[in-house]
Amino acid sequence: MKITYNWLKDFIDLKVPPFELAEKLTMAGLEVVSLKESGEDFIFEIEITSNRPDWLSIEGIAREVSAICGGTLKTKTPKELKFKNKGILSVPLLVSNKKDCPFYSGRVICGVKVGPSPGWLKKRLELLGCRSVNNIVDITNYILFELGQPLHAFDLDKIEGPQICVRRAMANEKIITIDGKEQLLDPEILVIADKNKPVAIAGIMGGREAEVAIGTRNILLESAVFNPVLLRRGRQKLGLQSESVYRFERGVSLSGAARASFIASDLILSLASGNPCGYKSLGSFKTADRLINLDPAYVKRVLGGAIPAVKMKQILNKLGLVVKVKAKQILSVKVPDFRQDLKLPVDLVEEIARIYGYEKIAQSTPAVVPQEKLLSKRDITCAIKNLLSGLGLHEVITYSLIDRALLAKTGIKTDSEVVEILNPLSCEQEVLRPSLLPSLIRCVAFNLNQQIDYVNIFEIANVFLARPHSVEEEPVLAIALCGVHSFLSKQGLVKDDINILHLKGILEALFNKLKVKDFNFIPQDDGKISILLGQKQAGFMLELSRQALDSVDIKNRQVVLAEVNLKQLFGCIGFEKKFASLPKYPAITRDISFVIKQDIAVRDLLIAIEEKGAPLLRSARIADYYQGKQIPAGFIGLTVSCVYRLDERTLTEEEVNPLHNTVCSLLEERFGIKLR
Amino acid sequence: MDINLIQEKIENELAGVISPQALEEVRVKYLGRKGLIAELTGSIPMLPIDKRGGFGKEVNALKIKVLNLIEEKERSLKNQDSAAKKNNIDIGMPGIAQGPGSLHPITHIIDEICTIFNRMGFSVLEGPEVETEYNNFTGLNIPLDHPSRDAFDTFYLKKYAKSLLRSHTSPVQVRAMKTAKPPLAIIVPGRVYRPDAVDASHLFMFHQIEGILVDRNIKFSDLKGTLEMFTKNVFGKDIKMRFRPHFFPFTEPSAEVDISCIICCGKGCSVCGRKGWLEILGAGMIHPNVFKHVGYDAKKYTGFAFGMGIERIAMLKYGINDIRLFFENDLRFLKQF
Repeated sequence: MKITYNWLKDFIDLKVPPFELAEKLTMAGLEVVSLKESGEDFIFEIEITSNRPDWLSIEGIAREVSAICGGTLKTKTPKELKFKNKGILSVPLLVSNKKDCPFYSGRVICGVKVGPSPGWLKKRLELLGCRSVNNIVDITNYILFELGQPLHAFDLDKIEGPQICVRRAMANEKIITIDGKEQLLDPEILVIADKNKPVAIAGIMGGREAEVAIGTRNILLESAVFNPVLLRRGRQKLGLQSESVYRFERGVSLSGAARASFIASDLILSLASGNPCGYKSLGSFKTADRLINLDPAYVKRVLGGAIPAVKMKQILNKLGLVVKVKAKQILSVKVPDFRQDLKLPVDLVEEIARIYGYEKIAQSTPAVVPQEKLLSKRDITCAIKNLLSGLGLHEVITYSLIDRALLAKTGIKTDSEVVEILNPLSCEQEVLRPSLLPSLIRCVAFNLNQQIDYVNIFEIANVFLARPHSVEEEPVLAIALCGVHSFLSKQGLVKDDINILHLKGILEALFNKLKVKDFNFIPQDDGKISILLGQKQAGFMLELSRQALDSVDIKNRQVVLAEVNLKQLFGCIGFEKKFASLPKYPAITRDISFVIKQDIAVRDLLIAIEEKGAPLLRSARIADYYQGKQIPAGFIGLTVSCVYRLDERTLTEEEVNPLHNTVCSLLEERFGIKLR
Repeated sequence: MDINLIQEKIENELAGVISPQALEEVRVKYLGRKGLIAELTGSIPMLPIDKRGGFGKEVNALKIKVLNLIEEKERSLKNQDSAAKKNNIDIGMPGIAQGPGSLHPITHIIDEICTIFNRMGFSVLEGPEVETEYNNFTGLNIPLDHPSRDAFDTFYLKKYAKSLLRSHTSPVQVRAMKTAKPPLAIIVPGRVYRPDAVDASHLFMFHQIEGILVDRNIKFSDLKGTLEMFTKNVFGKDIKMRFRPHFFPFTEPSAEVDISCIICCGKGCSVCGRKGWLEILGAGMIHPNVFKHVGYDAKKYTGFAFGMGIERIAMLKYGINDIRLFFENDLRFLKQF
């Protein structure tokens, strides 16, 4: 909303200079977003909140200024003009539904001379960015800006009948609006029609045919109030916007409509001559007064400060409300119909606080009763994030909305349908992702493109699964590793090509830190590796297929990925920390180095060793592996380190050696190992 | 035998020692069980009685002297040793360790804000991203067909009637108040969605954090005090804050909160649009209609609510000028946090 300093002066004696006024308006809730000097005037651009249609006028802002800065508001009183309610020149009027149009009035002015507007009028409109058309149209716009009431003038001779009907458009009815575009209408849209066809889209935009132009002699001046919801839906449907509908949507006052019609007619008669003729109106512009009782103690309860009741009364009066003091200091406040936003006592509290000044309300510290605090999911999530970043990974955040094509390209399959978005702006917002992996793959590709050769990232976010009656949201952890991890060691630079064991290592570290008791990695038939938590599948690891890599332009690189359902992980975390006493007696360690066929699963081997060595064998782990010159093709060299220990006393070699030998023979017999 | 001569000999010998092994040899030679000093001590009884006392003292003095000399030599050898090692490894070479990972800047800001409010006694609560139209709008006193909804353009879901992606974190207020009685002090971080065209300051997904406090006697002045504490914690104690009246359907009175520009300290620059102030959050006293929807007694309780965009705070705090950087996830960007 734009206003000018001089126009404002028509309504109030301004004592504050423009820049100070801008500051004061901003601090009262009318945020001045720009202030420009133009000739001898200043243009204020103000952001008007949607609850204040009364601020969409010079007069409304002047009223506010009088409350903020002092000074008396000079309202315009309409001159009594002699329009006749009957007679040949009054146009028959029909409103098909009062809910659509609570008030409609049409004044006929005959013998007008349509021509250019006087300079002062043109200038004022131009300062607000409104193009001058002709004196009649300019006057309707002028009143719109000044009083906030949208008006429309029709060329009466182009209205068939002549008659006016406010009705819903018929299916497939058409109109060419003043912007020259044809609009297809339907019964959801309210129109002003003559005997045969729509002549305007009610409250939104006039039609070109009955437009007032040079040569127009007789006009019909419309001033009305339309249903805000109906107009809002209509303009959304048609994709139209206008100063008029902007105001109708927010709410136009009934009494204002009646008054503006008089003031505009007066201006037309003095600038374009003509004679007042017929007048017809339907609906009442009188409304019942709304009374709100305000207890000054309530104001204090909400705001916390001590504003004197006298000051409250004074502020409300200045805003155009009528205040009476009743028993026990209760203020009885009468609300005028241009303040539809004031309904509850708390609305008046805001008015008082706003004008009194938010900055004058003291600060205090509330007594917060802390809630009983259990370890929340968020705390665990934070812990996981910290662990992973400690393991060298970088957290990313990617969009929850993705394009369907990405899902297909990356070949990430999920067991449910995807959730589709009804109104995406682009294909990148087509669906809610059922997996984080496509986004991470894209993120890896992006970073490789930036010549980064080692990408190690993770994300924790929700995935969305389509269920029959609702959408299921599941928190998920996803990790992606790619490229060559180069790092310095004592021996110099090591270049480590990322593979799935790196990913496993990260997950193992994470699960161990979270005290997950029972986790396993089991290969599946489809090449993926299941992550089992407490015997249940809670996620998987995979190496991205060549085809998928090609589709996202990743060349000569492997990408390994993991996704873990966090709800399941949360259920397996060991929160209780319990101390296990340290071993009192030394252990005996025996390493077995051997050569084994490559297709034998190491996991099976270790399980067999553990079973055989129990209970003296406390752990068996892979201490080394080797493939190379000394090992025949298809074989791998392994060293398993076996630790034997007793809690009660020191073990002797005599006890361990025979047991260890049986372990070795088991390996030879069952797995065909060759000791080295 | 002349004790002084022996001492001189030992001193000379020690001066030539350059390794711990050689030092050990010298030690054994003189101080060992069969060493020279033991030999000298053993020879005492063979001396005439009147000479025994004097010679004994001399031998003892020599022993102490030699012990000290060896100890001193040992120390100097150790020092030489580490000096030698120093020369072996150039400390200017890179250290050997795994490179550290990083948390996303948005995570850092959320953690920081949650921590500040945790200390004041607020708990963190999270809610679903797929919401009902009721929780996102109606329950928050936002009429479905009113221009006040224009600020909340919303993604709707196909196939699920009245389901949408929350356009702000406020629906969690409704959920929280429906499930718990006052006093209620919660802080709600999370993702939100709005169909906005993407540019340097707009995205269709971003993060918000929301806080509410409901109890008997919660006042607008408490809101001011709480947010003052918050802004000073995040932006430093010299920051100024101002409350500007505004309109939100779910609060009354409502305010927008500005802080003095952290770039120009209020003088006016390009970041603050020459205003000297930066808008950082919206706040207000919870509207009685919201209480009505969740079944709270507005006569008994009052409360405040506030909400802000995390990206906005992160951009101001870290000096990031393009919001798209947050979700591009360039490692060179992420590693800075």
